[in-house]
Amino acid sequence: MASIPSSSSSSPSQPKTRKKPGQNSLQPPPPQTKWRTGTQERLYSRRLVDALRATRDRAQVQESVGSRAVKEAADSALALTARGQSRWSRAILFGRNSCRRKLLVKAGGKIRRHRRKQHGVPPVAATAAEPGVLKEQKVKERLRKLGRLVPGCRKLPAATLLEEAADYVAALELQVRTMRALAEALSAAAVSAPEEEEAEAADPMVIAEQGS
Amino acid sequence: MSSRRSRSRRSSNSSRITEEQIVELVSKLQDLLPEARSRNSERVSASRVLQDTCNYIRDLQQEVDDLSERLADLLATTDMTSAQAAIIRSLLM
Repeated sequence: MASIPSSSSSSPSQPKTRKKPGQNSLQPPPPQTKWRTGTQERLYSRRLVDALRATRDRAQVQESVGSRAVKEAADSALALTARGQSRWSRAILFGRNSCRRKLLVKAGGKIRRHRRKQHGVPPVAATAAEPGVLKEQKVKERLRKLGRLVPGCRKLPAATLLEEAADYVAALELQVRTMRALAEALSAAAVSAPEEEEAEAADPMVIAEQGS
Repeated sequence: MSSRRSRSRRSSNSSRITEEQIVELVSKLQDLLPEARSRNSERVSASRVLQDTCNYIRDLQQEVDDLSERLADLLATTDMTSAQAAIIRSLLM
């Protein structure tokens, strides 16, 4: 009889009893609030700038920085700001190094490494316990499309995919906002003072930064 | 009897996902979309939300690409010291 709530220490075939009932109260903040705080914006701005500067320095030997390098730097910075708490961010970070894929599995996909009897059970129970809305063909197709758009989320179950998508959308909005602000600032600087370092040097900010 | 669906409301991994959970996740997603501002608490069908989400993600990714191009050009032509000043200013704003 398997009706003991939380003392499942050695039975691999009881997935439900491992979760504690109070776990739902420890949910992370919803994506909107998480990605729209000023702190996140500043964090991401700083990371983005660092990444771009690094990209630019690396590219000095060759030609100028290409747009794909910028995009990759921006994406990596975004994934870093997510602190690897979501699958898409881990997929971005570890997708750069294919040899690090094992880290990815250990960090976030620990379910996949263990081939237990669980894998036999869900396909049978899935059709019975699936909510009605997920059985529609249209919904299934669109879920699949969504899985292709969000990095690293192709084979996820519906609920996880929906969560990842929400987080990803909010993060993308932050990315667009920040990149646009940066582009505006840079183009304003370029227009007003293309080569005049003396004019800029009058700005106390630059004096503090330059020091040469 | 061993555990039945009464247990499934709490566990959200593997296959025991309730209708409620999906509906909640879909409506959370719906709130993020730009269309949410015009149709505030009206619940749209899941497939519509998913479609809108796909389109929105694609639009955002396209914007990132465009901005990346723009930034790449700007980084190439802007002198780094004046760029630093601009960056600091935008960070502080």
